[in-house]
Amino acid sequence: MGEKMAVKKRSDFKKYFQFFWRSWNIQASWNYERQMNMGFLYGIAPTLDELYPDESDPVQRQHKQEAYERHMAFYNCTPQTSAFTLGLAASMEEQYALDRENFNPDTINAVKTSLMGPLSGVGDSFFQGTVRIIAFGLGISLAQQGSILGPILAIILSFIPAWFVTWYGGKLGYTMGSKYLTKLQGGGLMDQLMYVCGIVGLMVVGAMVASMVGITTPIAFESTGLVLQDVVDSILPQALSLLITLVMLALIRRKVPTGWLLLICIFGGIVINALGILV
Amino acid sequence: MLGVSIILGLIGVVCILDSRILGRLNMERPLFTCTLVGLALGDLPTGLLVGASLELMSLGIVNIGAAAPPDMNMAAIITCAFAILTDATMETALALAVPIAVLGQMIGVVVRTLLANLTHVADRAIEQGRFDRAWQMHIVWGTLFYSLMYFIPIFLAVYMGTDMVQSIVSVVPAWFTDGLNLGSKFLTAYGIALLLSTMLNKELTVFFVLGFFLVGYLGLNITAIAIFAVIIAVVLSGLKFRTAAGPGALAGDGLDDYDPLEDDL
Repeated sequence: MGEKMAVKKRSDFKKYFQFFWRSWNIQASWNYERQMNMGFLYGIAPTLDELYPDESDPVQRQHKQEAYERHMAFYNCTPQTSAFTLGLAASMEEQYALDRENFNPDTINAVKTSLMGPLSGVGDSFFQGTVRIIAFGLGISLAQQGSILGPILAIILSFIPAWFVTWYGGKLGYTMGSKYLTKLQGGGLMDQLMYVCGIVGLMVVGAMVASMVGITTPIAFESTGLVLQDVVDSILPQALSLLITLVMLALIRRKVPTGWLLLICIFGGIVINALGILV
Repeated sequence: MLGVSIILGLIGVVCILDSRILGRLNMERPLFTCTLVGLALGDLPTGLLVGASLELMSLGIVNIGAAAPPDMNMAAIITCAFAILTDATMETALALAVPIAVLGQMIGVVVRTLLANLTHVADRAIEQGRFDRAWQMHIVWGTLFYSLMYFIPIFLAVYMGTDMVQSIVSVVPAWFTDGLNLGSKFLTAYGIALLLSTMLNKELTVFFVLGFFLVGYLGLNITAIAIFAVIIAVVLSGLKFRTAAGPGALAGDGLDDYDPLEDDL
């Protein structure tokens, strides 16, 4: 406890590392009530401890307590992109501590809240919708050939963008703050990124339907020697896989509940297979 | 069996902590966890194959934020363990593992509710000025509870379930396993369709079709598709966003040449 009087200013590297690491672990206490509230508090705690080091001073202690309470508010964001918000909030806390008269602390939570939506939207569609699809599309095809490079490659391809976005997101948020955000939104850069991600993601998914579903039909007419699957292959290879995928898509669009769809898959599979229609 | 169960439980801990403390590096996904199970149980080829199949089925299931049953990440670990430790096929093992994962999901609900209560403990700690205690709720207790949420069901399923699974598998008829095999292909189609339902829009549908035909007719592999897709996307976005900025500039030029007020003069 004797340490608390001797809190030193952190180096910039340590600061950025804390933004990075504490954004990655922001979901460790994800809960139904305020979701990532404690995660965000953990992220900003080193900054607050540094700003208000002396707990024996009642004023500082009061300020520290207010700051801790402030960051226990509801929060939810994609961990990687959340680093930007954490860096920005840390720099705002520092400004506020310097100039308590002219800085309204409510703006800190207002900024956090306004960033949650857009950063989650971009973050989830980039990491889960694009990076993951490409990484695992490649990974699955290698693993199916029995190569351990499949899962390794999938993780490396997932790691690099996650590391890059979290590390530089925290740094940018802290150093450039709100200035950078307007630049990012104004320049259409986000739209362009989403467009590129959309094309790449969809082409890989299209390729997956053709190479990984593998539904065929055993129907054959003995009298004429006609094998239906050969006919299908000569016109449009993997047509049955595409057809079933589109049927599933239609069922999802009609909001058939997930539980029902899973049952349809399992029991449909048993019945249709027993009838000799599809394999 | 005890040692094996503990190791598999620990793979479950890696799986859940990936999204809890590593921001979701996709180490939670079946492709990775099943590979670990394969390595741990000394049957890597099965681990890779089961991982690839389960990954395809759960491709569209993304555990962002709140939990959505069934928890395929947990089911994958148990399925792969059953497939290696017993004579069960991957499909049969999956059919037996999913109910366990649904039970596991219920534990997940309890954990997330419990952590909501820990939030109140943290609130009180801050009021009392015990600041360290507030963030310890997050990094210490949060991490611990989430780890147990995966460790316990997987440990129990493997420790107590393997013999039971073996005895079930020995009486399952062939038409049933063949049917489950087709069912697992339907599940793969469902997984991909789930993904499509979030990605597909009118403007971009053509690229899905393009990816499909490039493989269907030309037989290209996924690596080739990913490379071509990036090239096409970069070229097209260059064109699209240049012309998006363009019309304004062009319209401005047009106005310089043609001044509607000239007629009035």
